[in-house]
Amino acid sequence: MRSRRFPLWTLLAVVLVAALLVGSGAFSSTPPTSAQRAASIESVIRCPSCEDLSVADSSAPTAVTVRSTVRQLVDHGLTDSQIEDYLVARYGSAIVLDPPTSGWSSLVWVLPIAGGVIAVAVLAAVLARRRRRSGTSLDDDVLVPAADPVAVEERRRFLTQSLADADAEYLAGDLTDADYLSLRQRDLARLVALGPAPAAPATPTDWATPTAWADPEPVSGGPGREGSAGSAGSAASAASATVTAERSGTPLEPDRSDRVDRSVPRRRGRNKWFLVGAIGCFVVALVVAVPLFASHRLPGQTATGSVALSPSQQVARTLDQAATVENQGQLGLAAQLYQQVLTAHPDNEVALAQLGWLEYKIGQQGSDATLLADARTKLTQAVAMTPGDYAAHLYLGTLLLQLDGNASAAVSQFDQFLADSPPSTVVGQAATVLRQAYTSAGMAVPAEVAA
Amino acid sequence: MTGVLPPDTATAPPTTRPARRRHTARWVAVTVLVVAAGLIAVLATRQPAAVSEVQSPLVGTQAPPVRGLTVDGRAFALARPPGTFVVLNFFAPWCEPCQAEGPELVHFAFEHQQAGDAKMVSVVFDDSASDARSYQATLGATWPTLADPQGTIALSYGVRAPPSTFLIAPDGRVVAYIVAPVTAADLDGLIARARATGA
Repeated sequence: MRSRRFPLWTLLAVVLVAALLVGSGAFSSTPPTSAQRAASIESVIRCPSCEDLSVADSSAPTAVTVRSTVRQLVDHGLTDSQIEDYLVARYGSAIVLDPPTSGWSSLVWVLPIAGGVIAVAVLAAVLARRRRRSGTSLDDDVLVPAADPVAVEERRRFLTQSLADADAEYLAGDLTDADYLSLRQRDLARLVALGPAPAAPATPTDWATPTAWADPEPVSGGPGREGSAGSAGSAASAASATVTAERSGTPLEPDRSDRVDRSVPRRRGRNKWFLVGAIGCFVVALVVAVPLFASHRLPGQTATGSVALSPSQQVARTLDQAATVENQGQLGLAAQLYQQVLTAHPDNEVALAQLGWLEYKIGQQGSDATLLADARTKLTQAVAMTPGDYAAHLYLGTLLLQLDGNASAAVSQFDQFLADSPPSTVVGQAATVLRQAYTSAGMAVPAEVAA
Repeated sequence: MTGVLPPDTATAPPTTRPARRRHTARWVAVTVLVVAAGLIAVLATRQPAAVSEVQSPLVGTQAPPVRGLTVDGRAFALARPPGTFVVLNFFAPWCEPCQAEGPELVHFAFEHQQAGDAKMVSVVFDDSASDARSYQATLGATWPTLADPQGTIALSYGVRAPPSTFLIAPDGRVVAYIVAPVTAADLDGLIARARATGA
C-alpha cells in the first residue's frame, strides 16, 4: 500500500516545486523597467502616515511624496536596497513593511516557525505513543491462557495498568471516545479471559469494592469463582454504561475514585515537562518581542494601531483624496468626493471652490449652461467666504474672462489672487490666462507673471 | 512453566507509583495567564507615548537642509550649521495636538528671542500655505513658517504625522525628536540636556 502510494507523492512534490520555481520568476530573464522597479519598491514601503498600508496602496499625501521620491531615486540609478536605505535613514526600519531578518526583529520570523515545529513535534510524540500502545498488544494474545501463574499474574497487572492508563489518557483528552471505548473493552475482555484471580487473604471491606478490576492489587475476596464473577460483571456493566453514554453524546468519565492510585509511566511526566518548557520559551520570547514592536504610538493613534481621525482630519483626508484623483483626471470621482465634504460641511470653502472649478471645466467641455451657472454661484460664494484663498480668486477670474469675456472683472480677481502669495508653480500654470486678462484689460502684466 | 515472556514492560511498566493527574485545562489557563500578565506588566511600565521622545535615525546626525518658500512667499534657508539651537516644528492647522502646543511654542520663541540662544522654525505638514498663514497669524507666531507643499522637507526628516518637533544643536546635529505636543519647559529641558552632553 505504502509502496504504491509513494510515486504519487513524489510526482505531486515535483509538480509543486516546479510550479513554485516558475511562478517565482527565477527563470524570467528580462530586466524590469524603471516603472516596474518603482512599483515593486513602493509595494514594500509603508505609508508613513498610515498603518500597515504600502505607499502603493495609499493616497495619503505622505505616500504621494514617498512615491515621487522613489521614482526620482530610481531614475537617478539607485539600486533597490539603496532606495530602501535612503528611506530607512529618515523614517527608521519600520518604513519597510517586512520586518528585518536580523537582530531582535528576526523573532517575528523565527517564532511562528518555532511554534509550528514544536506543535508538529508534540503531535508526532502523541501519535507515536498511541501507535506504540496499540502495537504492543497485538502479540499479547499468545500469552492467554498461560499455565504459568506468575506470567498470568504479570499479565493481569499489565492489563489493569493498561486500563488505568487509558482512563488517564482519556481524562487528559488524549484519546477519542471511540478509541477509549475499544481499548477498554478489549482489555476488559482479556482480563476476564485470564480467569479468576487467585484468592488472597482479605477483609470484607476489600470484598465490597465494586470496581475490583481496576485495582492494581489482585482481586481479593472470598471464593475465587464469586470474585471473578463479581469483577467481570462490574467491568461489563461499566463498559456498557460507557457505550450508552457515548451513544447519548456525553462521554462518560471513569469513576474518579478509580484513578487516585493509578500509576503513570515515567515517560509521560517527561513529555509533560518538555511541553511546558517549550511553551514557556515561546511565551518568554513573545513577551520580549511584543514591547519591541509595540513601539511609539502617534498622537490620536489607538493601541491597536488605527489612527482615530477628528472630523477636521477626515475632511482634510477626503479633500486630499479628491485632489489626487482630480490630478489623475478622474473628474467625476473628484466631484463626488468634494460633494461628500460639502454635504457634511456646507461652509467648507476648499470643497466649494474646487467643486465650482470642476463644474466649470466639465460645463465648458459639454457647453452645459446649468453646470456653468452653478459653477459661477459656487465660486462667487467661495470668494466671498474666504477672501484670502488664492485658488478661489484664480478660478473665478478665469470664469469671468473665458465665459463672460469680462477682462476688467477678471483682472480684479487676479490681483487678489497674486496678493495672496500663491505658490510659484500655480502662478506658472496660470500665466497664460493671467497675461491674456491683463493685456485685454489694457493693463501692465505684473512682474510675477512676466517672470 | 514454559518460557513465556512477561508482557512488554518497557511500554507500560507496572510501577506502583501514585498517579500524577494531568491538568490540561489548568496548564492552558496558567499559560494564558502568564502571557496576559507579562503583556500587562510590560505595557503598564512603559512611558505613555504622549510624553515620550521617540527614536529617529536622524538623532545624532547632521540635520537635513531646511529651505523653501515661507507661507508669506519669502525664500528661507536654515544656515548650516545654524549657530544657535533650532526648534524645527512640523505642524498643521487641522491637527488638534498642534493647536494645544501652539501657545507653548510662542512662549518659548519669545523667551529665547530675548536671550538669542534658540530660534523657532515651523514647517506646514499637509495643509495649504494660506490656511497655515492665517493660523500662525492668529497664534501670534512671527518666526519663519515654510509651506513645504510637496512634503519634501517632511520626507527628509521622516515625519509621519504632526506635531513632530526636532531639536537641532548649534553645530547642526539633530539632538532630539518628539512626536507629541511639546511645552516650553520640555524644550528648555532638552536644550539643557544637549548642553550638558556637549552640544
